[in-house]
Amino acid sequence: MDALHRELLKVENLSVDFATKQGTVHAVRNISFQINTREIIGIVGESGSGKSVSMLAVMNLLADNASVTGGSIRFDGKELSTAGLSTRSERRAHEKMMMDIRGRDIGMVFQDPMTYLNPVLKIGLQLTEGIRKHRSCSKAEARERAIRLLGEVGISNPEKRLNQYPYEFSGGMRQRIIIAAALACDPRLLIADEPTTALDVTIQAQILSLIERLVKGMSSSALLITHDLGVVAELCDKIVIMYGGEIVERGTVREIFNETKHPYTMGLLNSIGKIEEERKPLGFIPGTPPNLLHVSGGCTFCSRCDRAMKICKEYRPAETVFSEEHSCSCWLYCKDRAQELVEAQERERQGRL
Amino acid sequence: MMEPVIRVEHLNKRFRVKGKPFEQKKYVNAVSDVSFSIGKGETLGIVGESGCGKSTLGRTILKIHEPDGGKIYFEGEDITAYSYRQMHPLRRRMQMIFQDPYASLNPRFTVGEMIEEPMEVYHLYEKQERAERVQQLMQTVGLKPDHIRRYPHEFSGGQRQRIGIARTLALDPDFIVCDEPFSALDVSIQAQIINLLEKIQDEKKISYIVVAHDLNAVRHISHNIGVMYLGHLVEIGPAPLVYGEPLHPYTQALISAIPAADPDAAGMMNRIILTGEVPSPIDVPSGCPFCTRCKYCTDKCRERMPELKDVGGRKVACVRY
Repeated sequence: MDALHRELLKVENLSVDFATKQGTVHAVRNISFQINTREIIGIVGESGSGKSVSMLAVMNLLADNASVTGGSIRFDGKELSTAGLSTRSERRAHEKMMMDIRGRDIGMVFQDPMTYLNPVLKIGLQLTEGIRKHRSCSKAEARERAIRLLGEVGISNPEKRLNQYPYEFSGGMRQRIIIAAALACDPRLLIADEPTTALDVTIQAQILSLIERLVKGMSSSALLITHDLGVVAELCDKIVIMYGGEIVERGTVREIFNETKHPYTMGLLNSIGKIEEERKPLGFIPGTPPNLLHVSGGCTFCSRCDRAMKICKEYRPAETVFSEEHSCSCWLYCKDRAQELVEAQERERQGRL
Repeated sequence: MMEPVIRVEHLNKRFRVKGKPFEQKKYVNAVSDVSFSIGKGETLGIVGESGCGKSTLGRTILKIHEPDGGKIYFEGEDITAYSYRQMHPLRRRMQMIFQDPYASLNPRFTVGEMIEEPMEVYHLYEKQERAERVQQLMQTVGLKPDHIRRYPHEFSGGQRQRIGIARTLALDPDFIVCDEPFSALDVSIQAQIINLLEKIQDEKKISYIVVAHDLNAVRHISHNIGVMYLGHLVEIGPAPLVYGEPLHPYTQALISAIPAADPDAAGMMNRIILTGEVPSPIDVPSGCPFCTRCKYCTDKCRERMPELKDVGGRKVACVRY
């Protein structure tokens, strides 16, 4: 691997459970992916597919009833996963480390610009807070930097704007302020959770080109969570498709769009209307996403899949690798290994009983 | 020529904004001087950024808001000045589908009660017949018969939107305003609802106004597209023309901003990125509302709002044509 594309974040076999009144929800199950430096990766999935939860797990910002039950999250050589921590002091030390990483090494942009900013604090304070915490600099220097950041994200009159409150900004401007705050300490990784979902297309175009310019300009990486395939097609180098808490397909943008393997990805691609096309029924995926309270032994997508076979209901498919980046978990591509996979899963079930 | 189902002429709607005491009264011009007509079985898609007045337009046509000027004709009948009571029989034929399927259904009603309620309000059909119709409607929108006794909270967003559609169809309307019918739904579910609305239209020849900011979805469902900017209709015409060769500079920017779900497309290269935001709709200047963000803006644009002119098969409001 060349020096430019160094491994930055590596998630391996990550699982996250939520304890609820109805039982345990297995929101994320055994996902693995990797981001190298200078890459933009898109995680695509419908609501409830676990895309946001896995990112919150990386940042260690999960809700109290959630727990990382297994797997590792390595960021630049440091272990971020809380799965192995048992004692209170260990957890405390881990949280301390996370506080240094959040904001400084990993910047995060949240979905809703309306709720993320504190309504009673001036945005100048909210922008300089992170800079002051992570860098030893004076108030004036932090302010200086905040002004420059606001200019970079295209907000006019930044000196005056710093003294204003969030309500004085429009949605698109608030989102840009959040991006400015996330980039305040030159993070090596920017995680953006649906950064443009709440915005109009014209503002979306502004924000996307801003993210691209900043990421490429600072030679950092970005992880973009979205359900909009158009956004990932334009901005990302690689795509990870999630469904029902699992990764079903991954690959470079061209591989996903031109050599689609998984039936779910095909369904997603078919369900977006093409501008040029005349009015004819859209391809759609019947049914609704699975209930993660009761995860069956088989493929999570099988109840909605038009190519489902008998084996899909019973056993989990294994990952089939097509190229260096492209792989897919579907029985259509691992039939030849069916015998051994079924036996392995039978043994696993026996062991659990 | 057949009478259009809905005809709107120079429609205006403004809202008073609270100002300081003794200050001159301020207004938001949500809809200004909008004219169009919709034929039977046709769909008009209204697109534009948030705050451009597209939802207000839909609501004003249904007289949920009282218009401040202009005329609304429903099948040739001038309904602009109709009172609440005069509107009542007409409301049966003019319905609405709402954006948020979580907020627009009464949580204490079962699905069956909810779909039956509009028919009860209008004293339509005998009790037995109503029950049959409920079953029929549920089938039309793709709900299972055993869902009839369930409550809204037991359904997913897409199914709730189906309940809303069934309720709307209960009165056999001729005209439906769909206000952001897909925006609360996932991509794969959106496609289901779009197909359903198209199927119903083909069967019953209903006319739709679809208000949405998702340009792809609107393109798919609409025959005609109207583009709104700060309350003004800046371009209106057949969907393939408006999307294929947009003429108004705002439409061009809007269409080019749609991310193409195709990695090989030129995408961002040809994109016209609008600088700045939509100006405040309070006290819009007298000229073209888009002139503050338009790259072709001249002194002529700032003087007065250009009229909608017929250009190449559609209507555009821009001085350049």
